[in-house]
Amino acid sequence: MLDFQTLMQIFWTGLANSSYAVLLAAAFALVLKVVKVWNFAQAGMMGIAYYTMYAAIQKFGLPGSVALLLGALAAIAAALAMEVFGLQTFRRRHSPPLTFFIFTLVLSELVQYLLAMIAGTEPVSLAATLMSTSHIVGGVVISEWDLKAIGTTVVLMGLLYLVMHRSRQGQFMIAAADNPHLSRLYGINVRRVYAVTFVIAAILIAVGMYLFGTRASMVPNTPLEMMLFAVIAALLGGMGNVFGAAIAAVFLGLLRAFSILVIPSAWQSLILYALLFITILFFPQGVRIKRRARKPATAAAPAAGV
Amino acid sequence: MTTVLNLKGVCKRFGGVVVSDNIDLEIRSGEILGLIGPNGAGKTSLFNLISGVVPADAGTIVLGDRTLTGLPLYARARLGVARTWQHMRLFGSLSVLDNMMIAPSHYPGESLWRLITAGPSVKRAEAATRERAHKILARMKLDALANANVNDITFGQQKLVGLARALMSEGPLLLLDEPMAGVEGMAYETMRDIVREEAAAGRAVCVVEHNVSFIRDLCNSAVFMAQGRILERGDVTTLLESKTLAELYFGQ
Amino acid sequence: MEYVASLLVLVGLYVILASSFNLIIGFGGLISIAHPIFFALGAYTVGVLSTQFGLHPVLSVAAGFGISMAFSFMLSLPSLRISGDYLLITSIGFQLGLLEIIKNLDFVGGASGLGGIPNVVQGNRNLVFAGIALGVAFVVVLAIRALVRGPYGRAIQAMRDDELAFLALGRNAMNIKIAIFALGSGVAGIAGGLYAYYYQYVTPDQFQILQSAMILTMVVVGGMGSVLGPVVGAVLLLLLPEAITFLNLPSGIMGPLQGVIFTSLVILFLFLRPQGLVASAKGSAAHGGQS
Repeated sequence: MLDFQTLMQIFWTGLANSSYAVLLAAAFALVLKVVKVWNFAQAGMMGIAYYTMYAAIQKFGLPGSVALLLGALAAIAAALAMEVFGLQTFRRRHSPPLTFFIFTLVLSELVQYLLAMIAGTEPVSLAATLMSTSHIVGGVVISEWDLKAIGTTVVLMGLLYLVMHRSRQGQFMIAAADNPHLSRLYGINVRRVYAVTFVIAAILIAVGMYLFGTRASMVPNTPLEMMLFAVIAALLGGMGNVFGAAIAAVFLGLLRAFSILVIPSAWQSLILYALLFITILFFPQGVRIKRRARKPATAAAPAAGV
Repeated sequence: MTTVLNLKGVCKRFGGVVVSDNIDLEIRSGEILGLIGPNGAGKTSLFNLISGVVPADAGTIVLGDRTLTGLPLYARARLGVARTWQHMRLFGSLSVLDNMMIAPSHYPGESLWRLITAGPSVKRAEAATRERAHKILARMKLDALANANVNDITFGQQKLVGLARALMSEGPLLLLDEPMAGVEGMAYETMRDIVREEAAAGRAVCVVEHNVSFIRDLCNSAVFMAQGRILERGDVTTLLESKTLAELYFGQ
Repeated sequence: MEYVASLLVLVGLYVILASSFNLIIGFGGLISIAHPIFFALGAYTVGVLSTQFGLHPVLSVAAGFGISMAFSFMLSLPSLRISGDYLLITSIGFQLGLLEIIKNLDFVGGASGLGGIPNVVQGNRNLVFAGIALGVAFVVVLAIRALVRGPYGRAIQAMRDDELAFLALGRNAMNIKIAIFALGSGVAGIAGGLYAYYYQYVTPDQFQILQSAMILTMVVVGGMGSVLGPVVGAVLLLLLPEAITFLNLPSGIMGPLQGVIFTSLVILFLFLRPQGLVASAKGSAAHGGQS
């Protein structure tokens, strides 16, 4: 029944479900922008955050907020360990991009296997019950979770904006993103900037996974697929555009929500991969809505020289 | 003397900077044209536009009777645009000889299909190319170094190898980006003599150089560029004595 | 004896897989994790052709080669047109996406797989298949060796050293990359075909990310960019699980434990010995000029 109410319901639920995707996409895009690395280890960070929170809530009976804090700390620790012991080493050695790709991807796989060994492959959720109180507004079911998720996301993204554009660290981040060498010359501690970036990303990831876990359940290899979503959003939004990625994540989430109307559920997950291909084929530099002068990202522009 | 390269109205900007501003240029066979001008004048950018490293925003580039505009880098090289680089760009894990073996434009050994189906013709092409490479190396008195790795020879020798590699192309145009910089003595003279030989044999040569005495020594005509524009063109001696040059070069 | 023979079949298959992957990532420098999907395509092609059409085994395997190769263009053409970096992302999507499609397609058996592949060998199956697998592996390694030592290998090396200079010499780098990718993927398809005939049963689960990790480990640990590296890597990494089986752990732990070991090994080698066990002959003028 394609009446207005159904459409509004799909829209609302799709919007709410994009909330955690927005946070995850923003985290991925932020690291890509500043540290200039495709952080495939994000899936690992997501898994670590999630299972830490799961252990805190279901095994130790700790309240949600404490669990969230622990999850964030775990993710931060993992990210910093990777940055300091891993990425910095490879940067120092001037390792080729291949090394970074393999390292981050394999880290996620390692985490996935460890979690499978420790926690098994049964689906686990963060919430005691996945049902939350709902209200009916104008014929559309709005649950507490929906409101919490959207609210949290908006607040966090707002904070992110403030940090990036109004705080000193944020300005350092943008400077390092544009030109790490020059930033270093101006006295910016680029390594610290990278560390801060990872800390912010870890927080976004932890909150995102918390929101996801209080609504659904997952197994150790779920993060890899979720991360793909974040990657596509980052691509669509344009490399180096964190808020573009966020908007793209909403768009993709809504697209996925509405696709149920046209595609049988068995083929649903295919949409993601099809979208990936379309993005690469037609929007390799991201979707340019505004006509701001941007540096060509991958254009064949060698040292313009003399 | 036939026109080998013809540029008309070539324009290019990077961001807000105009690196080529409506360039008209003709290079004839047998000419050794020097491109001089201060830093940022757009000399290497012009090379990049001609060879196809970057596409022009506007204008046409014609080589002989073929239009180069719109063609990708490798296609222009196959049509006969050979160049050397400011930073040499030799293949570091290969020997001197192997660097030269990459150079000829049509090489059956690099097509998988032909490798499988036409083995003998690949072997013949290998042998023929090797012979040519040795000949060129001999002209440069580098034959003894044929099997040395390119990172194990001196700077001057590396520059000669860069030139040798470009010479493997039998095309009509040779673009040399600061070939003499840092080169002296024997290597310098060898390079100068070989470039003169190539021009005499009919190639059109264009050279970017900062050092004015190199230009005087090597080129027979010159073009003066500044801020993406060609300001003066003519015979080497007249140009180098012109007032504009003195003003712009030293006054800047 | 039977056990050894079946192990040898696996050795043969993985030497083929690791060597072909090494061609793509070690020699070609193309970062992709989609190798298992081409392995899968070869296996499924053989599965369908043998069960539905009763095609002769050699033809089926050849078809597996062709189909894998054809599918590789679907991945390489759009991605490489942009830049090599994108190939990794699209390969992840390609790998996961195609597997999803296979799981939902009825005529290849869907998630429960494709069975009933006929037995095409008389006599002692294990020994014959071991012989075939090892034989094909031997041929593949020799072919790759011949390829990289000749003018093609020289061109690949030059392309890796400085692609811009390479292009400026009239070489179409993209064609070479696409050709290498196609060749490597096609060979993986052959391995898939052999796999299908041996096990006579093919399911999508056999071609998941664990496969990517295994093959990647074999190449990284064995030595990227050397001809013998993947051989060493394959042999070593197949013997390892055999060693762990003696620990008699529950199967729920065995699978992930293998994964943990493989990925840890990759990371260890990335830090301690990035060139792998068998270093490549780079830097020495070991190509063309001295044959």
